[in-house]
Amino acid sequence: MLSFTPYENPTYFGILAIALLPIVIGLLCKKRFHWYETIISIFFLVLTFGGPKLTQGYALIAYLIYEVVLVWLYTSYRKHKNQTSIFVGAVILAIIPLVIVKLTPAIQNGQQSLIGFLGISYLTFKAVQTIMESRDGVLKAFNPWFFLQFLVFFPTISSGPIDRYRRFKKDYDHVPDTDKYLQLLQKGVHNIFMGFVYKYMLAYLFGTLLLPKLQQQALSAHGLSWSLVGVMYVYSMYLFFDFAGYSLFAVGTSYFMGIETPINFNAPFKSHNIKEFWNRWHMTLSFWFRDYIYMRLVFFFMKHKVFKSPKTTANITYIINMTIMGFWHGVTWYYVTYGILHGIALVVNDWWLRYKKKHQKQIPHNKFTEIFAVFVTFNFVCFTFLLFSGFLNTMLLAK
Amino acid sequence: MAKKLFQIFGPILFAAILLVVLLFSPFKLSHITAKTERKAATALSPNVLKGQVIKEAALNHQNFVPFFGSSEFSRFDFAHPSVLAAKYQRKYTPFLMGNPGTQSLTHYFQMQLITKQLENRKAVFVISPQWFVKKGTRKDAFSFYYSPLQATTWLLNRNGHTKQDRYAAQRLLEMPAGNANHTIKLALKRVANGQSITSHQRNTLTFKQRLLQHEDQLFSSLKMKNNQRKIAQAESELPQKYQLSHLDQLAIKQGKKQTSNNRFEIDNRFYQKRLQKKEKRFKNFEKNWSYVQSPEFSDFELVLNQFARTHTNVMFVIPPVNQKWSDYTGLSPKMMRQFDQKIRYQLQSQGFTNICDLSDKGNVPYFMQDTIHLGWRGWLAVDQKLDPFLTTKQSTPTYHIKNQFYTKSWQDQVHVNK
Repeated sequence: MLSFTPYENPTYFGILAIALLPIVIGLLCKKRFHWYETIISIFFLVLTFGGPKLTQGYALIAYLIYEVVLVWLYTSYRKHKNQTSIFVGAVILAIIPLVIVKLTPAIQNGQQSLIGFLGISYLTFKAVQTIMESRDGVLKAFNPWFFLQFLVFFPTISSGPIDRYRRFKKDYDHVPDTDKYLQLLQKGVHNIFMGFVYKYMLAYLFGTLLLPKLQQQALSAHGLSWSLVGVMYVYSMYLFFDFAGYSLFAVGTSYFMGIETPINFNAPFKSHNIKEFWNRWHMTLSFWFRDYIYMRLVFFFMKHKVFKSPKTTANITYIINMTIMGFWHGVTWYYVTYGILHGIALVVNDWWLRYKKKHQKQIPHNKFTEIFAVFVTFNFVCFTFLLFSGFLNTMLLAK
Repeated sequence: MAKKLFQIFGPILFAAILLVVLLFSPFKLSHITAKTERKAATALSPNVLKGQVIKEAALNHQNFVPFFGSSEFSRFDFAHPSVLAAKYQRKYTPFLMGNPGTQSLTHYFQMQLITKQLENRKAVFVISPQWFVKKGTRKDAFSFYYSPLQATTWLLNRNGHTKQDRYAAQRLLEMPAGNANHTIKLALKRVANGQSITSHQRNTLTFKQRLLQHEDQLFSSLKMKNNQRKIAQAESELPQKYQLSHLDQLAIKQGKKQTSNNRFEIDNRFYQKRLQKKEKRFKNFEKNWSYVQSPEFSDFELVLNQFARTHTNVMFVIPPVNQKWSDYTGLSPKMMRQFDQKIRYQLQSQGFTNICDLSDKGNVPYFMQDTIHLGWRGWLAVDQKLDPFLTTKQSTPTYHIKNQFYTKSWQDQVHVNK
């Protein structure tokens, strides 16, 4: 049976083009065939999770039933009451499957959990934010059938970008006018072809042609070597072009369906500081963490007056926030260290910006310092990506 | 709206049509120059070995002789066949096909792309005893040198239902590489069961073959190593005139110089890099190793079968192992003799009588460059057989292929009845 990882080869794109054709024609005629969109979603889910990956498929179905029922129950409850303990309980229940999937390899020697499937994190993000918005009272009309559509929206199911319930609903219920839709089509084509350049040319060059050789050299050098420096930069480039390419495919495909899925990358290596970096790198994830973890923790700490100064509150929350992100990537020392390092970097960055403001007269600010800032940020990020890659772990084990 | 739509999708359609024409057209998309052929003959590049267009172009010239083997080819000292042929302007130029990890099964499938060129041709095949281990060819190594073009071409050229076909299909199916493509896998399953491939499979494979050939034509000459400087360097060490005693002296002199840091007569760099630190670990390490029972014997039979089909006259080289080293590692001389008897039996009983058997020369000083690879005097000894074989007229032997060599009982047989 045919089975694909999303966007993996020309055949997939061929099938995608054919499947999208009725939607495109429909939208050009100002009609949205929701029933057809549902069929196509199911069809692509079967392509992704069927055949040899059927165990993942079963896990997905069980997961979907579980999350839809959970969020449904909570939103129904929330209409009448608003107890914090119930809210916390709902959030915990929503993330439990993800926690199990992430913990299993750490406990069972790298073995993958049976209830895991490709993209479980992204579905969990969507479920948790829906619960939280319901708690906030901004999400009032909850429809379980629509929520399911939102969860399994196939262009973004495996690795995001992470959309928001209310934003998605606006597009889903709406038929864009012709001019607007033509613009979307144009942008969609541009995104997908840019994705080809990113994923199949540049990521291939860095990840398949260059990286294995450099890794081999770095491994045989035992310890610090120029090859290891090469691994650091080449892996960083690979990571960016691979993921950004994938995101472009997902966004482009969404545009074809008249859904403006938010972008995920915005020239991240141009960032002047680490905060700007997180506004440009894996944006939907970092905004999700900002809105649903960082902000909420800050409010919590302020409300309960846990820390005296707002600065301390922000700093501690940065570190907690990024450490959680590290754990989310996987329970290994290098992911967690990666998260903590980024948390510390955000703290240092805030401190530096305040210091700079205070001493505006003494500290120069010009083109060169800006270039220097970009250079420092880029190199810091690449260093943390080297950690993130797990290659240092491989080197340690090889010794 | 129509205009706008055309502006958006027109270029894509146009590009798609161009691409389809380019990839599926029956035209050849590249021209291989004489320079590329010369370079490829000693490049030892995996993409040349895997592909078709360069091998085919080179071997269309009669002066190139296909040399099949493995890692020994990459050691270009002055007695290497490519160096001797170049220096003394022999009538033949070796076209080297062999890398670390290329064994019989790899060669059988890569040969499928040059069957026409092998017809009534002379060839050289260097057997490595180290291939014949219990588990047979390594799956990852096989995958590395395999290309779907080999399987596609092989499948399209099957018309009979011989034991050879069934065995080869079944072996390929045991490799992850053979299962990577859906159509190829299903077609292989049919051949393994003694059936012909379906006409639908034939059509799909024909298109696939065209696509893969174009890929090969467009890309395989792009990434090629250049070993010509190494060869020129080795040539410069040779005297102007070929005189065996003189060359032998030179071989001893060089061997002595380049194996000075150890007592095993192993090349200094090889010893330093791979053995020195863990020398102790190798003491008696190979005591129980065996090259006598292996699926490789049947894989090798595939190669012989192919040579018989194309009436290729082949010189088989059986190198020894460095005895100073094998005494240390405890590799059994009795087992090595059994291997030699078994492989010779498989060759001779089917009519392959051109054998350069050096298996008893492991104790000759400076015969081997390191533990298992032919070196200075080893290559010279090969040359004594090879040069006359390739430069004088030989009667083509008649081969009688026997299916018994495809059986498990032959793979496991230890003693040969003489």
